[in-house]
Amino acid sequence: MKADPKGVLTGTHYIDGDVASGYGALAAGCRFIAGYPITPSTEAAEAFARVAPRAGAIFIQMEDELASMAAVVGGAWAGVKTMTITSGPGYSLMQENIGFGASLETPFVLLNIQRGGPSTGVPTKTGQADMMQSRWGSHGDYEVIAISPDSPQEMFDYTVKAFNLAEKYRCPVMIMSDECVGHMTEKVVIPPADQLEVEPRRYYSGPPEGYQPYKPDPDLVPKMAKAGDGLKLYISGLVHDERGYPVAAEEFKTIYVRRLVDKIRLNKNKIIELKEEGVDNADIVVVSYGISSRVAVKGVEMAREKGYKVGTLRLVTVWPFPDERIQELSSKVKAFVVPEINYGQVVYDVARCTHGKANVVLVPHGGAGVHNPKDITDAIEYALKQEKRIEGVVEFKTRLEKLVFEGGMKLKE
Amino acid sequence: MDTQETAQKKIQTAKAAKDLAQMNDIHPMDDFIRMDRMPHIWCPGCGIGIAVTAFAAALEKAQIDLNKVSIVSGIGCTGRVAGYVKLDSFHTTHGRPIAYATGIQVANPDMKVVVFSGDGDLIAIGGNHFIHAARRNINMLVVCVNNFIYAMTGGQVAPTTPLAAYATTSPFGCVEPPFNIPYIADSAGAVYVARWTTLHVRRLMNAMTEGLQKNGFSVVEAISPCAMYYSRINRLGDGLDMMNFYHDNVEIRHGEDTKNLDIGFQTKIICGKFVDRERPTYMERYSQWSEAAKGAKR
Amino acid sequence: MNLIAKALKDGIQKSGVNPAMISMPSDIPFSQEVTRELGVDFFQTTRGRAIAFGTGLKLSNPALKVMPVAGDLMTLGGNHLVHGGRRNMELCVIVVNHFVYHTIAGKNAPPMTSAFSPYSTFEEPFNFPHLGNSCGAVFTARWTALHTDDLGQSIATALNKRGLSLVEIIAPGPNYYAGIEHLDEQLLKFYREQSEVKNGEDPRHVAIAPDKKIIVGNFTDKERPTFIDQYNMQLGKVLGEKFTPHGVIDKEPLPGGKIG
Repeated sequence: MKADPKGVLTGTHYIDGDVASGYGALAAGCRFIAGYPITPSTEAAEAFARVAPRAGAIFIQMEDELASMAAVVGGAWAGVKTMTITSGPGYSLMQENIGFGASLETPFVLLNIQRGGPSTGVPTKTGQADMMQSRWGSHGDYEVIAISPDSPQEMFDYTVKAFNLAEKYRCPVMIMSDECVGHMTEKVVIPPADQLEVEPRRYYSGPPEGYQPYKPDPDLVPKMAKAGDGLKLYISGLVHDERGYPVAAEEFKTIYVRRLVDKIRLNKNKIIELKEEGVDNADIVVVSYGISSRVAVKGVEMAREKGYKVGTLRLVTVWPFPDERIQELSSKVKAFVVPEINYGQVVYDVARCTHGKANVVLVPHGGAGVHNPKDITDAIEYALKQEKRIEGVVEFKTRLEKLVFEGGMKLKE
Repeated sequence: MDTQETAQKKIQTAKAAKDLAQMNDIHPMDDFIRMDRMPHIWCPGCGIGIAVTAFAAALEKAQIDLNKVSIVSGIGCTGRVAGYVKLDSFHTTHGRPIAYATGIQVANPDMKVVVFSGDGDLIAIGGNHFIHAARRNINMLVVCVNNFIYAMTGGQVAPTTPLAAYATTSPFGCVEPPFNIPYIADSAGAVYVARWTTLHVRRLMNAMTEGLQKNGFSVVEAISPCAMYYSRINRLGDGLDMMNFYHDNVEIRHGEDTKNLDIGFQTKIICGKFVDRERPTYMERYSQWSEAAKGAKR
Repeated sequence: MNLIAKALKDGIQKSGVNPAMISMPSDIPFSQEVTRELGVDFFQTTRGRAIAFGTGLKLSNPALKVMPVAGDLMTLGGNHLVHGGRRNMELCVIVVNHFVYHTIAGKNAPPMTSAFSPYSTFEEPFNFPHLGNSCGAVFTARWTALHTDDLGQSIATALNKRGLSLVEIIAPGPNYYAGIEHLDEQLLKFYREQSEVKNGEDPRHVAIAPDKKIIVGNFTDKERPTFIDQYNMQLGKVLGEKFTPHGVIDKEPLPGGKIG
């Protein structure tokens, strides 16, 4: 289906990542955003609030993130595409209702502009430390899709894609961006509406008596319904059967959770998007996502100047994780180098998939800044020098760490 | 002679410099402010500093042992207050200072707990803790600095933003009627409720003193200019213009029924002490109940 | 069918609203039989979030009538209630208050045997109608579950009210939840004796306290523009012709080009 022209701000813009995401939401057909101000994500909400009336959309600033997330799930069941916008602390508050949304198989999009944590952390500076929370944040077993754009243009494109994935798989889709990308101002080209594919919601169209809200189609995703259509919906966060009625027996729980995770796991190959460059014949592959992947480009360039064979693998979708691809590469390459702005999250998933066939080097960063590309080059060099297999993950000592902990760097405000 | 004069002059200059240094050393609020954290982050024209000064004076006036006062703030411009005062300070999570303060108070009833935070923090995300602490009548003073907007994040609409006022997330004017903070505090059960602007420094200080001395949940709303966002977005001038506005448009009505205290966009603001009553506090009820429970069988 | 559900059914019938257009987010787990009987779309939400969930439903499809039923409203969801009232979101909020019976009846009541407060509670409860009224609800009422006729009538009025209305139902605790046929004499007598009807009473004076009768009745009944009214009014004023009011079916698309 083509996008509704009312929501598409066709043209060339010079905007930041947050704003691009707000415009992307409107273009994708999002007509309801409930949010709460939080640095550094607020600009997305502000942008959406400014352009919403032209497409008949509405933005409401709720009293907190708990309410925002609940309203977003409610809005989706009233029949529109919905999104919420937040950052670190707000993301933690939303977890309960993210799980609720996942259990109801509600399609919605969540934009998380990651900042430095834990707790209040550094609101105005970057981080990539919510990656595991995006996957395991709410209690219980469920699967989500997480996308990590690395430029304002991608913020637009992947916000549209996030809505499409949410509709397709009826699950929460997280856009796990970060402060750098959110506040990065670049050229963003918004195509005409007739060049923008949007996924319509899959509605049930049979007789009301026959409707079962969780009866799956062959791709394991059930058809959705909306309130007010006379279907007498019974939708509950309790474990439910295909009719939506609460059940507690273990066999029902098994059926329920199995499908909740399998609809993502079995459709993994259709969902995962990777960007690879120079991976064939590479000795080292740099695996990265979000802003770190843009820094990695420079690091890899410098390594190549030194004559090393280095490839890059960019995780555009971080969750579900491309197990097979990493596994395949691990028998061909010497090592993986993983720069991320945390002390090791996605890197452990890389290590899990190598089965000990290749070394895995983490280039950590404490947050509030991005990597020095030289560190990535050095880490590549270090990885090449290792003759032996090293168990688990090796942590590379960055320049900043050496300066702070060994070089007697003078700390001042 | 000349040399003598010069020498004397030198001594005088040195003395003056020393005095000046000493004066700098012993700032009148030195006991109260963490001078090593100065300068603060507040913009020129902001009223939060005035509210803090009034609070410092109130602590002095109420003659409370500073070691027995704990100050809890949330997130936001006013949320930074705890970090600047030399008390047991807690800069907590967004919206939760009253919940933390409840913990401190109940665990150690000897502590005088003060919650110093903004309207967004206390009334929006923390609204539930606010009404529940008032219902329980936890012994604490809540100073709510109300600047009608979320200033720290850059001027978003708040639950106190007057109807039709502009903010970044209400680009076409605010469509939600604002809270009347004294009314909600009153109806939830607060024992002391007052509202002043940061122009009324002395009255604000007196209200804080009374709130500190009061046994129970006391609320002091301090209306403050936000020159950087609220005034700028709505073209209301700078901090001084807002002070002039308060001067011309504040009406003092002590004991006014709290339901008449709504604030509109650039309308009259009613200030005063509205509620001052007695209700058993949470801890009083608790000790009563625990006495009774000792005799009871489960 | 339990007492609350019966009252809801009664109220919906009396209001004349098509049950198919009613969405009921609730943190009380009604059984599927009950919701089928009511004929509404039912959503069992996370605890205390029924009003927030309902806000999303209402704004996304203003044609819906949203009727949040809340049991945990007094604890987790208090903030959503006060903000809903402030915005005057068009929601018909039903608060089920189980705890009063124990609070008031004192010695005569069955002992409250919750794990958290084995010796009964000592905190003062909220005065819901007053709280609702002070945050801007357009309609507040309180009835016990046994005032079936009045309660049904109040729910009907609330459903047709434009804005946030709040109906507090004082109901016997979960032990009595099973059904009306199981109610014992003592409870009926208790409700009959302990409640007093005072319609139009200032909600300020209807706090529930030991040694006092439970005041029931319709307290607040006023008019205020709803959130959507206010939104359409304000944006219409600022944007003028090019603004299509929310909740009204589009007549024609907005002129493209300039943003905002």
